[in-house]
Amino acid sequence: MTPSSRMWKLIMGVFRRRFLSTRMLIMLPILFLFIPGMAWGFSDPNIQLPADQVPETAAETMFLASIGIVFAGTMAAVLLAHDGISKDRQSGVLELRLSQPMPRWRQSMILVIGNWASIAVPVTVLMLISMWLVGYRSDMWISAGDSIVFVVAAWLVLLWYTVFALLASSLAKEQGSAIAFSIGLWFLFTLLWVLFTTLIAALNGVAVGESKDASYSVFEGRLDLLSPNGVYHHLLETRLEDVNRGVSSTGVVMAALAWTVFPLLWFTRRIKRLVP
Amino acid sequence: MGDMDVMEFSSVKFRHKVPAPKWFNPFKKQHGAGIAELDLTLQSGQIVGLVGTNGAGKTTLLRMMSGVLPIESGNVSANGKVLSSQELRRRVGFMPEHVRWSGHETVEQTLVEFALLRGCSKDSALEIINVIGLKNRASSALDSLSQGMRQRLSLGIALLGTPDVLVLDEPFNGMDPVAIEAFKRLLQSLARKGIAVVVSSHHLFELDQLIDTLALLHRGQLVAHGTTVSIQEKLGFKQLTEVCLDSELPKKLVQGLEILEHSSTDNTHHMILQNAPLNLLKDIVKSGIGVITWREIQPSLIELLCAATGLDRQSIGMDVENSAWLPMRTLQEEEE
Repeated sequence: MTPSSRMWKLIMGVFRRRFLSTRMLIMLPILFLFIPGMAWGFSDPNIQLPADQVPETAAETMFLASIGIVFAGTMAAVLLAHDGISKDRQSGVLELRLSQPMPRWRQSMILVIGNWASIAVPVTVLMLISMWLVGYRSDMWISAGDSIVFVVAAWLVLLWYTVFALLASSLAKEQGSAIAFSIGLWFLFTLLWVLFTTLIAALNGVAVGESKDASYSVFEGRLDLLSPNGVYHHLLETRLEDVNRGVSSTGVVMAALAWTVFPLLWFTRRIKRLVP
Repeated sequence: MGDMDVMEFSSVKFRHKVPAPKWFNPFKKQHGAGIAELDLTLQSGQIVGLVGTNGAGKTTLLRMMSGVLPIESGNVSANGKVLSSQELRRRVGFMPEHVRWSGHETVEQTLVEFALLRGCSKDSALEIINVIGLKNRASSALDSLSQGMRQRLSLGIALLGTPDVLVLDEPFNGMDPVAIEAFKRLLQSLARKGIAVVVSSHHLFELDQLIDTLALLHRGQLVAHGTTVSIQEKLGFKQLTEVCLDSELPKKLVQGLEILEHSSTDNTHHMILQNAPLNLLKDIVKSGIGVITWREIQPSLIELLCAATGLDRQSIGMDVENSAWLPMRTLQEEEE
């Protein structure tokens, strides 16, 4: 058996363990409510949205429904992966894993891909259901190109949160700290980022509160590159018309690449130097 | 078996990093206790007992041997070739002290997972299940295993991929006496097959019966290493013999004997002799005296440790708390 096929089998093992876990059973209804539920709501032909927004395409409806992924998908990724290392560290299994000859970078990839796949698979299925729901309810069918970008963007944001959670799990000596660190990061990027953006914008003399103000929109767009959720939304916006938040598509792709590569490198380095 | 070197540790060193927060740097760390430039050669078929007090560095050394902790300086070689950490991990099977196996996975699934990590086949994992005596529990969930069974599972993982060296940290913990006996027999049979076994344990009685070579560790340093007899000689232990006879020794035989203890009842005369002459037993039998007991007394591992470190039993016990704080002798570098 080649090292890659051994790695694949081990990834499947992690995936199976996570996917069939009790916490996944608890989170599945929440994911169902947030992802297809949002799509169902936003595809209502009589929907009344703030600022007189009316989704005119399926991509716009899916963009609005992406809030379900930002809230429930990323939270589920964090909850699934937060004890990926800390649990093994506490039980002593980590010591046994670290004493195995498989290179540490492969072991780190097994953890990342296994944990990520366990949330990416249900989210993908629920997104496909959402796309069908949007088409069924509003008779606006999403194009293949848009659906690929939406799914890949969701995979990326889930990957980023999975790596954050695993990093926290590797840094923390016990599970309480690991979950506090992961949830804290999720809280910052999901709930506090708006406050942070507004504060920085106000300090820079940008007209905060005027949603139509172009300079605020550009400022917010650029600052969003520093947040995984912001980059996720930037990726989705590349498929929307008449959206200009001062960041080019190339810039968005580069930011997405940076958010993927640097945390992964950091995590691999952590695992290489990890001591029980 | 027994005289072929399988692995050589030359001047290996590792020091733990311990928190030393300062007001301007709360995450500051400094070097703490560890292993100081240790040399150790392991031979095939040898069973080495690693003995030391708590905090002496036994677990740290075993983790270094198994590639879990990095070797900061020095090297590990086999057949004259310096081993990389990955190669070291391939050659060493490690059984850590505490592994609390839990979850819904079965024994078989767990062994297969570690076989994949170790690069061996699924069949070898299934064979190991028989070796460790968990065949009937192969499909049992980890949650349902007793402590002894969990220890066996950890041993099974250490045995995967037929390692040259087996490193066992406190393997007897949680085992019943029957399991300990079976475990010892298993280790002896593995040693006969040429595997070098390094075992640390606080069950000194069990260890004493198992090992053929002793390594005494104190404050991260190997204070003595060799067979029990050679260490005794090196540390200046005299040969003690316990003798129990059915009547008093005649005066001509008593002359020149170093008697450390003597007690008598109506029918028995009990003595502890130091450096008893080789022909003494023959002379006693010739003189018609009945010999009830004739036994050489080996110093206990604790006595050896005390002699090697120059500390008494009480100090050794007290030293447990201090050892982590004191700078090590041979490093000759200023502590931060």
